[in-house]
Amino acid sequence: MKLAVVVQRYGAEINGGAELHARYIAERLAKHAQVEVVTTCARDYVTWRNELDAGADSVNGLPVRRFPVRREREPLDFGRRSRRVFEEPHSLADELAWLDSEGPASPALIDYLARSAAAFDYVLLFSYRYYHAWHAARRLPGKAVLVPTAERDPAIGLAMFGPVFRNVRGIMYNSYEERAMIQGATHNEHVPGVVVGVGSDVPARTDPARFRRRHGITRPFAIYIGRIDANKGCGELFDYFQRYATTFPRGLDLVLVGKPIIPIPSHHRIHHLGFLPDEDKFDALAAADLLVMPSYFESLSMVALEAWALGRPVLANGRCDVLKGQCIRSNAGLYYESYEEFAETLYALESNGPLHARLGRNGREFFCRHYAWPVIEGKYLDMFRQLERGAAAAPAPEPMPGWFARRRRELPPAAEVLARLPSGAVTRAANARRDRPA
Amino acid sequence: MSDFTVKNDSVDVEQIMRQVRSRIREKRGVDYTEDEIRELASVKLERFLDPKGVRSDLLEQYRKRRDASTTPRNYSFEDTTLYESSRPLLRGLRKLLNPILKLFVNPTPVIDALHIQSKLNDSYNQAESLYYELIHNLVLETTRLGIEVKNLKMRVESMSSRLDFDERRARALEGVVQYRPGVVAPLQPPAGGGGGGVNATMSADEAERRSRRRRRRGRRRPGTGPSGERTGQPGGGHEAGRSDGGDASAPSGETGNGPAES
Repeated sequence: MKLAVVVQRYGAEINGGAELHARYIAERLAKHAQVEVVTTCARDYVTWRNELDAGADSVNGLPVRRFPVRREREPLDFGRRSRRVFEEPHSLADELAWLDSEGPASPALIDYLARSAAAFDYVLLFSYRYYHAWHAARRLPGKAVLVPTAERDPAIGLAMFGPVFRNVRGIMYNSYEERAMIQGATHNEHVPGVVVGVGSDVPARTDPARFRRRHGITRPFAIYIGRIDANKGCGELFDYFQRYATTFPRGLDLVLVGKPIIPIPSHHRIHHLGFLPDEDKFDALAAADLLVMPSYFESLSMVALEAWALGRPVLANGRCDVLKGQCIRSNAGLYYESYEEFAETLYALESNGPLHARLGRNGREFFCRHYAWPVIEGKYLDMFRQLERGAAAAPAPEPMPGWFARRRRELPPAAEVLARLPSGAVTRAANARRDRPA
Repeated sequence: MSDFTVKNDSVDVEQIMRQVRSRIREKRGVDYTEDEIRELASVKLERFLDPKGVRSDLLEQYRKRRDASTTPRNYSFEDTTLYESSRPLLRGLRKLLNPILKLFVNPTPVIDALHIQSKLNDSYNQAESLYYELIHNLVLETTRLGIEVKNLKMRVESMSSRLDFDERRARALEGVVQYRPGVVAPLQPPAGGGGGGVNATMSADEAERRSRRRRRRGRRRPGTGPSGERTGQPGGGHEAGRSDGGDASAPSGETGNGPAES
């Protein structure tokens, strides 16, 4: 079997969620199939500037083929087009212009995929919202398997993505909530899909004491790992934690790991360690009492899975359906939607030893049952086998509307569409009903 | 704060969250969600200045704007202004031709409007200094109130957590302490009133010893001391001995509050 993994950026040093997800999957599937990664020369997800050399490359032993991005993103133009399609009635042409403006526009990449389509059995397209995924899905509908990594943001309400979700061969969802949202938006229930997610290379042994020695952290602490950004809910976290610290002068400290985008408050119980290598990161997780995930929008939180793999409970933002759903299904984390809930749940995790231990144990079991690599690889291989059996069932692509129809401004604002989509965590009962074999 | 009991091997996160929410509802007293509270607050404040929206540099901005704006000198506009000129000949000619001008246009409403505008400009200039003072005071007050509210909120949170802690501690202690009848005599309420009850439980020996001690003190301090003056009972005696602090200096075993303080 020969597979192409197509993703907007790729590299050992690129740590974005979808990109890391793609790399992990490509490296794991390489054990079962011949894998080639097709990507752009961009390293920065804001500008898509061509920073890496075009042509053949190799990352961790995998062949990688890079194509130049036609033009860098212009933030002002992208912002203007985003406002139009998200907040105003608009046309399909507006949406296509938005996609082009978002980037990374690389027609050479799409042409290469179209030319080499015969050489690949399946093409795994990561991140539905980017140029490469939309164009490749339309050019190779019989071979495209989509890994949407969709968050609950207005882009899912854009009409142009409907045919993409309906015409691909298969979809590898990250969570039940993501599947419910996509099916609500695009009515693609007929497309074979499975909730997979991604595993993680969690080390068998960690050394919490080494982390404490190296960083001089002596007190018990909660940890946040990720980009320190307002979009990730860090502003709210800082506010809540400072209030909590006033109430509980001898409570947990907060350790932050990651690149800061917003200013970090100067507080004697908030410690920022910057970006840490993987070894340190896992030691830090093992040394922590719990992981805090304040993000409002997540397709799948890999760091939450890693915390569970190490037996650490998670305190998540309950307004993120995915995180809340995972906490409920795993029974391995608590969640908050207000300061009062934050204080109560953090205090419960901090002070109640038996509760902490059982949540941690549940997390470890949840990770092993659903996110261990053999499970993930098995789900991908099962999907390919299923698609192979139903080769004749490849859907006919939906035709593009005509020139005038594309320019008719009668599509509703994407934010309105999003507001109408089903929301909330998928509970175990609902989940069981959906997954019950017919 | 939450005190969840994990009794068996399984935990149910949804159930824990229900407990958390019910505890928060109990604390709040009224079952309002965060969003409802926000809505209520916005309804009350919608016609007023949002205190969170007050910029700390508002006054500075206002002052800068005032300095930067080159306000033109106000003009006075009367019914003759339109025809005025520094040259007397021209002024006279305009007045002469005024009836002809009025054949083509009616300048009276323009003259009235500009006259009123001139008066309005005057009153605006006077009011602006008042606005400045008003904003200044409002900003000061809002800032002060904001700080006070924040402090109070922190104090309430701190007290509430301490109260929770004390309640839990009290419950824990109640669970630990057991009254065993044979070991510690249970506390008895006073049988009669005041000293009668104490005397009733006192043994005869103890009472005899006490009265002897009081008699000795009485002999040592005749009723001329400060205590005698205070009580108005020269010669000391029983009451004088009590009020001059004699009991306070007695061994703790003999005083009513001694053991409790120790």
